[in-house]
Amino acid sequence: MASGSSKNPPLSAATLHILLALAGGNLHGYGIIQEVARNSDGHYRLGPGTLYDNLKKLMDAGLVADAPKTFAAKRKAAKEDDRRFYTLTRDGRAALASEVDRLQSVVTQARLRLQEARSGRA
Amino acid sequence: MNRSVSRFAYRLLLGMHPASFQNEFGAEMLWIFEEESRQGAVSHLLLDGALSLLRQHWRIKRESGMLSICSGEVIANPGVGAVRLLQAGLTLCAILGSVMFLSGPAHSFDPSIRWSAQEPCYTISLQPVTHMAEIRRTLP
Repeated sequence: MASGSSKNPPLSAATLHILLALAGGNLHGYGIIQEVARNSDGHYRLGPGTLYDNLKKLMDAGLVADAPKTFAAKRKAAKEDDRRFYTLTRDGRAALASEVDRLQSVVTQARLRLQEARSGRA
Repeated sequence: MNRSVSRFAYRLLLGMHPASFQNEFGAEMLWIFEEESRQGAVSHLLLDGALSLLRQHWRIKRESGMLSICSGEVIANPGVGAVRLLQAGLTLCAILGSVMFLSGPAHSFDPSIRWSAQEPCYTISLQPVTHMAEIRRTLP
């Protein structure tokens, strides 16, 4: 397991999905909702209340920040969007990496147990 | 549900959110609501808005120095939290003390209401029986 896992507690499902969506690039709120739905094949759909509640927590914790003004200005100039964009910070990336490591170890453990159970039955 | 009614309900929910949250995210939440409601999914958005409202108010209460029993942590901000803790402690002590005192076998009480003509007022007293006997004995 990664050494950072001890200082990063396990993330909630909503937080994990938001960080995962932002890992692909800067997005606005609705973009995050759509990206989360895409990543989960439509099984997990965030509501705006849940999204912004979690975004606020993540921003307070320094894991997510407003996208740099140059990025927003580019989008505005290209008339693509004038919405507020969010970006993953370095700490956010580290928290996501540590959560992925944690999940990886859970999956490894689960595979091991299932293999043991299968070989015990045989 | 009619779209204008649901939009009104959502605006109402947003309006009940704490001002800071509303100022920061209200417009974006409304924009997402408009986008999502075009696809017909309104009830889950309203439910989500209501849950968000509860979470925000709960968070403000927790941050302002209240005791959080669910999570098992005591948040005591300097000043307000300490005063509240002291008040809660004193109130609890007063209630427990009263219950213990009143439930004791030697302390049954004799309530009485007296009218005094000299000082036109009612006197309501709750004296232990032993005290009342003593008072009656000494009264002319």
